[in-house]
Amino acid sequence: MLNAQESTITTTAPAVCWACLAQLESVLIAQSVSSKGSALFCPHCGKIQPPAGGNYFSIFGLVPRLNLDLGMLERQFHKLSRKLHPDRFARASENEKEWSLAQSSLLNDAYRTLKDPLTRTYYLLKLHGAEIGEEFAGKDRKDPSRVPADLLEEVFELNMQLEEMRMNRKMGEVDEQLQSDLQQAEKKFLALQDEVDEQLHTEWTKWDEGDAQTRETAQKTMMALLDRRRYLSNLVRDVTETLGA
Amino acid sequence: MAYSDKVVDHYNNPRNVGTLDKSAQEVGTGLVGAPECGDVMRLQIRVNPETQVIEEAKFKTFGCGSAIASSSLATEWIKGRKVEEALEIKNTDIVKELSLPPVKIHCSVLAEDAIRAAIGDWKKKNGVAETAPAATAAAQ
Repeated sequence: MLNAQESTITTTAPAVCWACLAQLESVLIAQSVSSKGSALFCPHCGKIQPPAGGNYFSIFGLVPRLNLDLGMLERQFHKLSRKLHPDRFARASENEKEWSLAQSSLLNDAYRTLKDPLTRTYYLLKLHGAEIGEEFAGKDRKDPSRVPADLLEEVFELNMQLEEMRMNRKMGEVDEQLQSDLQQAEKKFLALQDEVDEQLHTEWTKWDEGDAQTRETAQKTMMALLDRRRYLSNLVRDVTETLGA
Repeated sequence: MAYSDKVVDHYNNPRNVGTLDKSAQEVGTGLVGAPECGDVMRLQIRVNPETQVIEEAKFKTFGCGSAIASSSLATEWIKGRKVEEALEIKNTDIVKELSLPPVKIHCSVLAEDAIRAAIGDWKKKNGVAETAPAATAAAQ
């Protein structure tokens, strides 16, 4: 059975196939259980469908989950890419040609987003109404769990060291101690990043299998973890850039 | 998005950049961060124990132009004020002064938080509860 949230996501596609007039809606509901068939094509006559308000998961015929079967995702991606190949639409109507191009680019976006564990988490939480991203920055200031306070001191220190390193470089000086400190820091923050990813995995399962209340709790935890993760990946990026410059 | 002239001015000529001795009794340190953009801001104050006036304020911010301008402006505003008066500064005052666009409002929030954190640290160090007039209140 679908819960209320999922049905609002999956039923925005057109109700019938333009070519054979088969009901698409019922198919969409069935597919979220059976994990078969893509929303890009009519499951009855196999004709391409115009881009509709579905989501990245329904494109692949996958149930929206955080623990995603990546093998399945990749196979579906290759299969659908072949089916959308322009050669296959050489003798199709203008509409179908246009749709196949639009669906192709949608398919690529969807694959990129779902393949990466972080962008997938962002995407699915946003789909469920989570307020993530720069546009919501500062709104949640009453919730202190969103600021990784234990990291602040280190983040600040590291930024100071990075600045010193860049200054040294400008002056043509090399401080080997500083360089090795930064390499240590890079290692440490990479390890912390792995730690966060592991914790995210645990929350994924809670979210995938939980009821509405469990999901809400898991979502809060994930949002805090994603904040921490962003801090860490920015740091790693800066350190790597400075060391490699 | 273009920065306002005032932001550009603070960014190019930041006021009061620097460090105060964190371990000094009369120095309060506030370290805050915005997870959304990864900015970190440190604001420090040196308070005269007799008059409760903030005689010196320093900041160091790693972040965007608006974050740097917000903290630079914050140090300018709190210098010469009494601690309790400095607490009256609101992030909306900073937004107005710097004409910050909606997406940069969190930078001003960060600056307000930094002031509060620095004053909070100073109060804790000196055993000042709420609006106690002098630093002679019983230490916790």
